[in-house]
Amino acid sequence: MKIVVCCKAVPGAVTDVAVETRGDALRFRSQFQSMNECDEYAMEEAVVLKRLYGGEIIALTIGGVSTQEILYTAAAKGADRIVRVDALAQDPRAASIVLAAALKTLAADLVLTGTQSRDSLSSFVGVATAQRLDVPFAFAVTAIEKDGDDAIKVRKELGGGRSADVRLPLPALVCVQTGIQPLNYVPPARLMRARQQRPQSLSLADLGLTLADIAPRGYRIASVAPPARAAGAQILSGPPAEAVRALLAKMAEAG
Amino acid sequence: MAGDVLVIAEHWKGRPEAVTFQLIAKGREIADARRASLGVLVLGHDIGELAADLAGTGVDAVFVVDHRALGNAACGLLAEAAVASLREIAPALTLVGFTLVGMELAPAIATRLGVAAMTNCVNVECVDGEIVVAKPVYDGALHARVIFDRDAPALVALQAGATPTLPQPARAALVRALALDIESMPRRGEIVQFIEEPIGDVDIAKADIIVSAGRGVGDASKLPMIEACAKALGGLMGCSRPLVDQGWLPRERQVGASGKTVTPKIYIACGISGASQHLAGMSGAKMIVAINKDPNAPIFQVAHYGIVGDLFEIVPELTAQAKKS
Ligand SMILES: Cc1cc2nc3c(=O)[nH]c(=O)nc-3n(C[C@H](O)[C@H](O)[C@H](O)COP(=O)(O)OP(=O)(O)OC[C@H]3O[C@@H](n4cnc5c(N)ncnc54)[C@H](O)[C@@H]3O)c2cc1C
Repeated sequence: MKIVVCCKAVPGAVTDVAVETRGDALRFRSQFQSMNECDEYAMEEAVVLKRLYGGEIIALTIGGVSTQEILYTAAAKGADRIVRVDALAQDPRAASIVLAAALKTLAADLVLTGTQSRDSLSSFVGVATAQRLDVPFAFAVTAIEKDGDDAIKVRKELGGGRSADVRLPLPALVCVQTGIQPLNYVPPARLMRARQQRPQSLSLADLGLTLADIAPRGYRIASVAPPARAAGAQILSGPPAEAVRALLAKMAEAG
Repeated sequence: MAGDVLVIAEHWKGRPEAVTFQLIAKGREIADARRASLGVLVLGHDIGELAADLAGTGVDAVFVVDHRALGNAACGLLAEAAVASLREIAPALTLVGFTLVGMELAPAIATRLGVAAMTNCVNVECVDGEIVVAKPVYDGALHARVIFDRDAPALVALQAGATPTLPQPARAALVRALALDIESMPRRGEIVQFIEEPIGDVDIAKADIIVSAGRGVGDASKLPMIEACAKALGGLMGCSRPLVDQGWLPRERQVGASGKTVTPKIYIACGISGASQHLAGMSGAKMIVAINKDPNAPIFQVAHYGIVGDLFEIVPELTAQAKKS
């Protein structure tokens, strides 16, 4: 099985977040980037599937040179090839356009993504990419197995303690839910070795795309700020004993 | 009519999910502001009664797509049917729940129709004729305010529980079956079986007081401290999803979109950041208390009372004082 794992480099703690002048993106400062946690689970699942069924794992990301770091992490976890599309695609729709174009060149049997990125928090890119590729998809998947030569069976969450077993013909795209496999720690020595792997770099032009194709459309970001606290929200301050005493009093009032 | 709003209903076993009523309340507000009409779209199999029920919820129209194949269709076909419906109804704004079901449906529909979409929204409103949403970014510490282009159709996925369920006075709603050629649509997978998880040994949904542990507890060995606190207060211990993912607690303890929905009298979140999927399961609690060392944690946006501090100091203190009183 040829598996492509789409993974995103996400910033750690961000500061100085502001809207770009044209209202089409956010800018920010951040000390470091790491692999989006949900995507790490997709990567771990790919490793297990390869062990079970054989094949190849390709890790794919979009971003500037600095995002290559997470591809080394992917390689250390077990990716055989690493590919970066050199582009900026903060807008989820744009990301799905770039990923779909790159995936067409990679001809995977199975594409894995996470369910959400911690910066955009949109849960959009995986399924949107599947639609662009016109392949079957499932979101929030907690188990994957082969079902014959040209299909998989997945268990997906429906919410409220419900799930469904779904049969998807291959090729397919699956958004992997957190917890599907334990996350494995990457020892520094393995990461050092992984750095020797050369990422393949693709430009938008290589994919037949232009900047205009991936420009955000249909909206503008007006502002970004900490949200207002709910009316009545009250911070109980003071030393722990005092704050707790105040809290118990409030709880007693509420009954 | 220009400006019309459409809600895509979410339902299970013939009953609308709570989020559907929240979307209808929001949809009504926006449709009224734009002097437009509000419709609800129901896709599924054997949903005649459901459609009739929805007609009395304050909408102007119910659009029904009832087909055997939609009963066990993977999302691919549901999206296909939704897309064909939206082409016919042509709403200016489509509202979907940001639930496990909506997270799958919204991007599929938006992509196929080429409409601008915003997901994980905490609010949507009509301001001077423009559709404006607020949505969390960067772990939820910040909210972005986004304005859709005027006169272009938009799709918004709204968090469950983000808006109250205001019952709407019934109107004379038109129920219309849409004649779609479902048979010739690509199926893209099939549901083999539905699984409903058993309640489990502990039913936190029945507790009056829930003390929930989040990733802030650091490791599994600290959980007895939380459990002791829950016990001292006469409640049960719940948790956020990462604790279940790591195998520290069974799924039956998990609160949230993919866990349980709870409405206790008192919910105490310890070391929980307050991601939208967690809030979806507990925002209906009568009193929400947050204990978190990060004053900017999103949980403080929904909490009634908060203590900013180290849970390892606060929780044992709470246990001790609760035991005394
Ligand atoms: C499809 C989908 C479904 C999901 N379903 C659910 C669900 O059902 N339930 C759910 O909970 N999540 C769910 N999630 C995950 C959700 O998005 C969050 O990742 C998760 O809720 C975060 O859990 P947390 O708040 O415990 O951890 P974190 O976000 O890591 O927060 C930990 C918090 O602890 C605080 N902290 C750390 N140390 C201390 C200390 N010593 N004292 C006090 N505070 C401290 C930190 O400031 C931080 O705010 C889902 C996600 C997706 C994509």
